[in-house]
Amino acid sequence: MAKPTKYPLLNALGSMQLTILLLALLMVLVFLCTLAQVDLGTFGAVAVYMRSFVVWWHVPGTAYSIPILPGGALVGLVLALNLVAQYVRIPFTVANLGLWLVHLGLILFVVGEFVSGAFQVDSQMAIEEGQTVNYIEGRDPELAVADVTDPVQDEIYGIGQGGLSREGVVELPGSPVSIKVHRFFRNADLTNRQPGDPASPVTRGVGTAVTVRPLPPVSRDDDMNRSAAFVEPLAGGRSYGVWLVSNVLGAPQSFIHEGRTYVLSMRSRRQYLPYSITLKKFSHDVYAGTDIPKNFSSLVRLHNPSRGEDREVLIFMNQPLRYDGKAFYQASFGKNDTLSILQVVENPGWRLPYVSCAMVTLGLLYHFGTRLRRSLKRREAAQAAAPAQSAAQEA
Amino acid sequence: MKAAKIAPWVAAGLALVGAGVAAFQPDQLRGFDVGGFSRLPVLEGGRLKPIDTVARNSLLMIRGQQSFVYQERTVGADEWILDVLFRPQVADAQPIFVINDPDVLGLIGLKQTKDRYFSFRQLLPHIAEIQRQAEAAHPIEAKERSRFQSAIVNLFDRVLLYHKLKNTVQLVGTSGLAAEVESAREPGAAERQAALVELAQFRPLPPPVGARGDKWRSTGEALRASASAGALDPGLPLLARVGWAYSFQEPSEFNKSVSDLKALTASLRPEALAQADHETVFNRAQPFYVGMVIYVLALLVIFASWLWKPEILRPAAFGLLAAGATVQTLGLVSRIILQGRPPVTNLYSSAVFVGWGAVILSIVLERIYKRGFAIAVGAAAGFASLLVAHHLSGDGDTMEMMRAVLDSNFWLATHVVAITIGYSGTFLAGAIAIAYALRRQFAPRLDPTSTKTLVSMTYGIVAFSLLFSFVGTVLGGIWADQSWGRFWGWDPKENGALLIVLWNAIILHARFGGFVREKGIMAMAIFGNVITSLSWFGVNMLGVGLHSYGFMDKAFYALSAFIGTQFLLMGLCLLPRQFWKPRASREVDGQQAAKA
Repeated sequence: MAKPTKYPLLNALGSMQLTILLLALLMVLVFLCTLAQVDLGTFGAVAVYMRSFVVWWHVPGTAYSIPILPGGALVGLVLALNLVAQYVRIPFTVANLGLWLVHLGLILFVVGEFVSGAFQVDSQMAIEEGQTVNYIEGRDPELAVADVTDPVQDEIYGIGQGGLSREGVVELPGSPVSIKVHRFFRNADLTNRQPGDPASPVTRGVGTAVTVRPLPPVSRDDDMNRSAAFVEPLAGGRSYGVWLVSNVLGAPQSFIHEGRTYVLSMRSRRQYLPYSITLKKFSHDVYAGTDIPKNFSSLVRLHNPSRGEDREVLIFMNQPLRYDGKAFYQASFGKNDTLSILQVVENPGWRLPYVSCAMVTLGLLYHFGTRLRRSLKRREAAQAAAPAQSAAQEA
Repeated sequence: MKAAKIAPWVAAGLALVGAGVAAFQPDQLRGFDVGGFSRLPVLEGGRLKPIDTVARNSLLMIRGQQSFVYQERTVGADEWILDVLFRPQVADAQPIFVINDPDVLGLIGLKQTKDRYFSFRQLLPHIAEIQRQAEAAHPIEAKERSRFQSAIVNLFDRVLLYHKLKNTVQLVGTSGLAAEVESAREPGAAERQAALVELAQFRPLPPPVGARGDKWRSTGEALRASASAGALDPGLPLLARVGWAYSFQEPSEFNKSVSDLKALTASLRPEALAQADHETVFNRAQPFYVGMVIYVLALLVIFASWLWKPEILRPAAFGLLAAGATVQTLGLVSRIILQGRPPVTNLYSSAVFVGWGAVILSIVLERIYKRGFAIAVGAAAGFASLLVAHHLSGDGDTMEMMRAVLDSNFWLATHVVAITIGYSGTFLAGAIAIAYALRRQFAPRLDPTSTKTLVSMTYGIVAFSLLFSFVGTVLGGIWADQSWGRFWGWDPKENGALLIVLWNAIILHARFGGFVREKGIMAMAIFGNVITSLSWFGVNMLGVGLHSYGFMDKAFYALSAFIGTQFLLMGLCLLPRQFWKPRASREVDGQQAAKA
């Protein structure tokens, strides 16, 4: 159907052999990605196989990794090019209308996956009954330096994972304090200090009694990284000592500079929202006489002073709250059914798959429908001809 | 010519009459209205069902069968449950626990008998040891347990189920429910009531008019309520009389009490009674088992037609296939009505539905091509899928309640049904390809038109499967976007569906580009079976992801064996021409003649 053009590169890029090769590669990647989820978790496996350009294999016992397969992103990109190249070569006729729609839809699908990969942000909001929350939390850690001097409102400065990983002096704009990051651990094991443990740089706070040992980061969905860092607040030309911060240390640690109290803590990265959500009631029903969950739902109050909005929303399974470009889903619960955890997803491309899928479905229906009609007609004609033929033979 | 016209109707009619006869079972047993008792509705596992279903599923879980032979007499599930509830001394002696694991047998010091079935009385001295071992194995994740650990946990679960059933209406070792009703407020009664509440496997007492539909009560709860409020639950004395009459083997008193209890339920919950009645009819008719038998008959008749009188036997086989499809459709519709859900709600029902889809598709193919292949393939697919379904049904109730996230009839009816039809189509294409490969080896003669028919059937079915698996996958994405906030999450089950879509797309492109011919397409269609079986069952074995709704350990070997055979068949399919049976050369001649 696709006609060769005078450009050999376009012909090669748009060849059907390439399509089949890419589809087969994609199958292999999807298969490996599925198997890898047992060890790496979904996030980890997808990062290795699908959202990468090259799949690396670490040669055991050496420090080398060798590329073994193109990654999902590369295959997807070439597949999109292959589609476009074929596309321009499929003559646009009524008979090909279905194929046109299918392939245009698929191109849009690949684009949508790239948009999701680049822009989708997953966070969580955990609210206890009666609590009001105006921030969402991501998976990555951040160092929060909170100025709690004002009893009404805290002034909070955050350093994200990127800043922590660079391990140097980070200024906190708008504050006299800067933070020197001595060392950052993406994941670590924290134990009570034993005699004979290696010396620790920590000079202040609860961290002086703790030994930190680095661990490889985990990516399984149900595991959490226990991040830790040695940080040294600097202000007005003096040091306030080296502190250990970690998201597993519960005790608040603070220092005072020029009459202002600053609290140091490591926590999940927060994004503050211009509106707040209050959990009025979390319900968790089970079927009578079993522990099979029948329904989870959160009755929340959405309060947005800037838009003068103040209303109640019921979030339940298959029924998220879509607001301000974000979608809030009922994801989990805890604390004896008084804590509700909402999954918060922000994806500007969330509508693309809907459009592309509708196009592909319509295209397939049209294409196979017309083909089926043609083939049935041909059979009818053949069957009508057959008796005449046999009659002729007998004669 | 006339015989050929009536053959399908006669064959179908006979099969349906046979199915009707098989559905009929007497209610009376030694003068006891056992059938009437088993039709009474109770609440178990969050769902209203007849005692008949509780009995069948429990016996299936404990023994692996819905009836057993004891003292040279077949004991049905309905009779067994009466003994368990009211004459535990009789039930304890019946050999109902199947134990296959030699280590478990060694542990409890039992000799490996010929039939591997043991009574509760034989297990009784070892219960403490079984419990100790099972509790040790319990914290280990199901898929990491050793064979012995799985077997001991499984045995303990079955013993526990039996123990709970025995103590549902009245506590073993007490003087019965009647005495319990009398002494509901006496000292010591509260502890017994607590034990009854704790142990009840099902809730037999209907809620009063006006209460919520799921407020059925166990005897323990009803006794407790009568002790504190004073008002006696009207069902309690009736149930007590049923128990008394059965334990003292008084048929007339038993029958009267059962009909009183039925009348009470009819006045309080008429719809529950009607539903339980329907479900009992469904259970007794065993439409999927009967359908399996009819498909085997259709298969035998079509095989016979290749040797003898094809003009009569082929239409007869078509009639049988249609009869099997009718029985299976009735069964599916019954399930849909009983459950109030679309046809596919779990692994078991997906197997039933995959088979049904394949059979319906082959009936359509046979109407178009009229060559008999589709009958053979459809009957084989129907039989195989019902066999798979039968083996998936041993875990208990096949109509269990849906977890919250799946509780959406709209998506179950669209996404799940479309995906499952995609499975049907891919398997059917694979089955036709297998028929092609086998035919080439074993058929007495090969005519090129038939071969062409097989190829074009396969191609059409692959296109059909691509459409349905794509639509199904996409609808799943939309559902996921609605409920979890992402369209595509690379979850194993989603990946499995994607693999099917990709594979069908590869087949179509390969054929369209002319890279594969007849043999290649057929071998690819057989590989479709591998992909589909991995997507359907394999991902459940990984035990990760949001869709892992049915973990199966035993099925692993079955799946591996299936995949192995598919690779062998692909090899057979791809064998070069000189390895075909000698008469294949005639086909070459035929083809050349056709070209000329």
